[in-house]
Amino acid sequence: MTDVTLTVNGQTRSASVPPETTLLVLLREHLNLTGAKLGCDVGDCGACTVIVDGMAVNSCLMLAGQANGRNVTTIEGLATRDRLHPVQKAFEDTGALQCGFCGPGAIMASKALLDDNPNPSVKEIRDALSGSLCRCTGYTKMIDAVQEAARVLRNEATKELTDART
Amino acid sequence: MDDKTEVLEREQLDIEILRDVNLRLPAVVPREAFPAVPLTVDARLQTRAVGQRATRPDCRMHGLGQTKYIDDIKLPGMLYARIKRAGISSARIKRIDTSAAEAMPGVMAVVIGEEIPVNSFGPTFQDQPVLAADRVFHAGDGVAAVAAVTEQIANEALEKIVVEYEPLPAVFDPVEAMRDVAPKVHAPNSNIYASKVVRIGDVEKGFAVSDHIFEGRFSTQMIEHVSLEPHAAIADWDATGRLTIYATIGRITLARADMARTLKLPMSRIRLIGTTVGGNFGGKNEISQEPALALLSKKTGRPVKSVFTRSEEFTSSTTRHPIIMDYKSGVTKEGRIVARQIRLVLDGGAYCSWSATTLGKACILSPGPYKIDNVLTEAFVVYTNKTMTGAMRGFGAPQVCFAYESHMDDIAKGLGKDQLEIRLLNAFDEGSSSPTGQVLHSVVVKETLNKAAARFGWESQS
Amino acid sequence: MKRRGRGIGCMWYPIGFTVDANPSAATVKVNEDGTATVLTGTVETGQGALTVLGQIAAEALGIATDDVHVVSGDTDVTPMDTGAIASRTTYVTGNAIYLAAEAAKAILFEAAAPMLGVKPSQLEAKDRMIQVKNFPQRAVTIGEVAFRSQVVLGQPAIGSATWNPPTVAMDPETGQGKPFATYVYATQIAEVDVDDETGEVEVLRICAAHDCGTAINPMLVEGQVEGGISMGVGMALQEEMLFDANGRIVNPSLTNYIMPTSLDMPEIHVDIVQGFDPTGPFGAKGVGEPTAVPTAAAILNAIHDAVGVRITALPATAEKVLAAIKAKKGALKQIPR
Repeated sequence: MTDVTLTVNGQTRSASVPPETTLLVLLREHLNLTGAKLGCDVGDCGACTVIVDGMAVNSCLMLAGQANGRNVTTIEGLATRDRLHPVQKAFEDTGALQCGFCGPGAIMASKALLDDNPNPSVKEIRDALSGSLCRCTGYTKMIDAVQEAARVLRNEATKELTDART
Repeated sequence: MDDKTEVLEREQLDIEILRDVNLRLPAVVPREAFPAVPLTVDARLQTRAVGQRATRPDCRMHGLGQTKYIDDIKLPGMLYARIKRAGISSARIKRIDTSAAEAMPGVMAVVIGEEIPVNSFGPTFQDQPVLAADRVFHAGDGVAAVAAVTEQIANEALEKIVVEYEPLPAVFDPVEAMRDVAPKVHAPNSNIYASKVVRIGDVEKGFAVSDHIFEGRFSTQMIEHVSLEPHAAIADWDATGRLTIYATIGRITLARADMARTLKLPMSRIRLIGTTVGGNFGGKNEISQEPALALLSKKTGRPVKSVFTRSEEFTSSTTRHPIIMDYKSGVTKEGRIVARQIRLVLDGGAYCSWSATTLGKACILSPGPYKIDNVLTEAFVVYTNKTMTGAMRGFGAPQVCFAYESHMDDIAKGLGKDQLEIRLLNAFDEGSSSPTGQVLHSVVVKETLNKAAARFGWESQS
Repeated sequence: MKRRGRGIGCMWYPIGFTVDANPSAATVKVNEDGTATVLTGTVETGQGALTVLGQIAAEALGIATDDVHVVSGDTDVTPMDTGAIASRTTYVTGNAIYLAAEAAKAILFEAAAPMLGVKPSQLEAKDRMIQVKNFPQRAVTIGEVAFRSQVVLGQPAIGSATWNPPTVAMDPETGQGKPFATYVYATQIAEVDVDDETGEVEVLRICAAHDCGTAINPMLVEGQVEGGISMGVGMALQEEMLFDANGRIVNPSLTNYIMPTSLDMPEIHVDIVQGFDPTGPFGAKGVGEPTAVPTAAAILNAIHDAVGVRITALPATAEKVLAAIKAKKGALKQIPR
């Protein structure tokens, strides 16, 4: 058995799992975080995307042991008691979610992009989403949603800066 | 560290706070209060509800990752099942030996085809077995189902099930399969398992008075739905002998009827719960593994869950019919279609599934949205020893549309006509008759042509 | 060198099953405060059916979408439904829900009539009120009426209904008949660039004009068009299940079964053409499948326009397109002088 201790959504979690356990299975079966989905188990579809140490990762391709000591953010870690994360709100408001199965993965891939690049071009958004397969939406509204979320996040950052100065 | 002490706060999230609803808003928002950019949340509060860009409450759950799809559901004591796939396209099953699998630690039960009380189902013809009992008709056929305490053990158990096959002749090409000499997939029945004709006017007379004749053959490929969520189901019995099935099926009324039939149970003893489904597109419109899971659950006294692997989505679930389409049209030199003759051959896979429906729609739609006085369409669907073809978004319409629109452009080119003009010349009007003699209402073909052309900036070039 | 082309795909598509009965049943319960719960046997498979059905019930009862809760998908609790198939949900299930809401509303009107001093036939439901037609000043909130009806008069406002599209069986020899109650129409026009040295096709933009009858929720209609186009792009250019000589699938994985990603999608412009259909709920028809129908046709016609080759077997992969371009050049070279 492999002992794994890692930070998930800001909390220290740990589990003892068979060595071949993937990060995806660790999250879903052992930590009860079922937001990340199993769509193919071989890294083709992106439904399992989570953020590990700031990078969007297919959690089905990472062993739980490889996540030891790392900082993981899943879809469950985005919203707070007071509000939805702007990416979640934008996906909801623009109609970028239909069946929702690819949603957590696409939202995490989008968040990873915006954490790195607050003003992405359409091409950069398409690139960031290219690992998230979606059969329902045709991606069009997702691109709108990411642009909307980027706008909201930039405004909030500007406001914070202005508030800090006054 | 005991991770049971660290309970996620998400259960305590107050969703009401997130909705940001002011309950004292008047039912109709006064005009002055309209925001410059419409907020979709407000759309849900309008009392003219039709026409609103209302957001979906289920999408709130999707965005939070809180929607429970079947694979997210865990019931106490739940077992995991996997199905052994034949891997051979046409064979007689001589022997199935499940003893080694049953003896494995962690394996709780095995089920094979002959244990299914009524081992056949299908929306038109009941030619599909739940688990193949004595014949295999395509490589994705299931031959045994295993329930174990973990998915991994169930997978390992599949390899311990021994199946002896006697290979039989197979046929893979639908045109080949139509010939008398071809092996019969479901002997003694003909491989042509359904056909349809639509006939109006007289095509030969129509061709005789046409200025030009155009012909073309078009064909399409087998396509898979690729819903992001694979087929999944959970079967569970209660102590009164009532069966509950959680399934990704979009037609739970039919599914309940099929469960009643295959398991010989009264419908009142069956509960079908259609959970939020992660995509259907026609591929989740009938039962597949559910009766086998029900029997595994009955044998073990525990809930049993099974989720198709992505590979099984391709090998063992329905697909879109490949169609070979022959078109012949007689037109005037102005481009008006006088007569159209069509022949469709659908690759019907190993089982009928929704093929009769697909055949019917493809046949009726095949002349296109055009006023044609003389039409003859003949359509056939043919068994082959490949993955069963069933319902997929459009039921044959995308295939025939590809054919009739490609054909239309060939006609336009041949006559030196603009592609938009020739369609406007022929398209249905309000009150036009369809090829089945139906008077059509709410017809807006030309509106869609003109609207799309205007949006595109289509300049005619003839 | 990249060559640009444009192509039209125009289509018609029916709503509901071919001739066969495909009924839907529904129940609408008005709660004592004037909000409502809808029971439907359909299943939400991602298209937003439950939201649209809720909007239909809300419109019929004169309340807001947010006032309606839709319960679905449980054979113990919800009435039968032929299912989420054949683009029938908005039209068939929608009609059942509309009729059920009307039945519940009739009970409310019976209770409200004496409250307002008029006959039930003089009433309408609007803006969360039950009011007199053409004299809206005389009104009472739907909540008050629902409470009075259920709690005081003992008549809970529950309505149930079923609906099945009227069809005429097709003659077995000629196919003559009325197989469907209604159809929708659409045109998609595609603009592509074809690289005549590699055969690669890039779909630049698609203008899609779709009829869905009345658009109950235009945002969801757009979602269906965009999603349908993505399936059409895949069908036109990429997707194919390949079999070996023994009938086994060679590419049963998403690594080797190529389907559209965000990089493959064109710019999409959606125009909703509202072909009001009096037989549908508030004029609505349907939209789920039609959106995937004309795309491949439009793209293949655009390829033909761009490089003059007619690909007749889908998918039009780069290899096929390039081979066709070369064959055409070769054929031209062989024209005898």
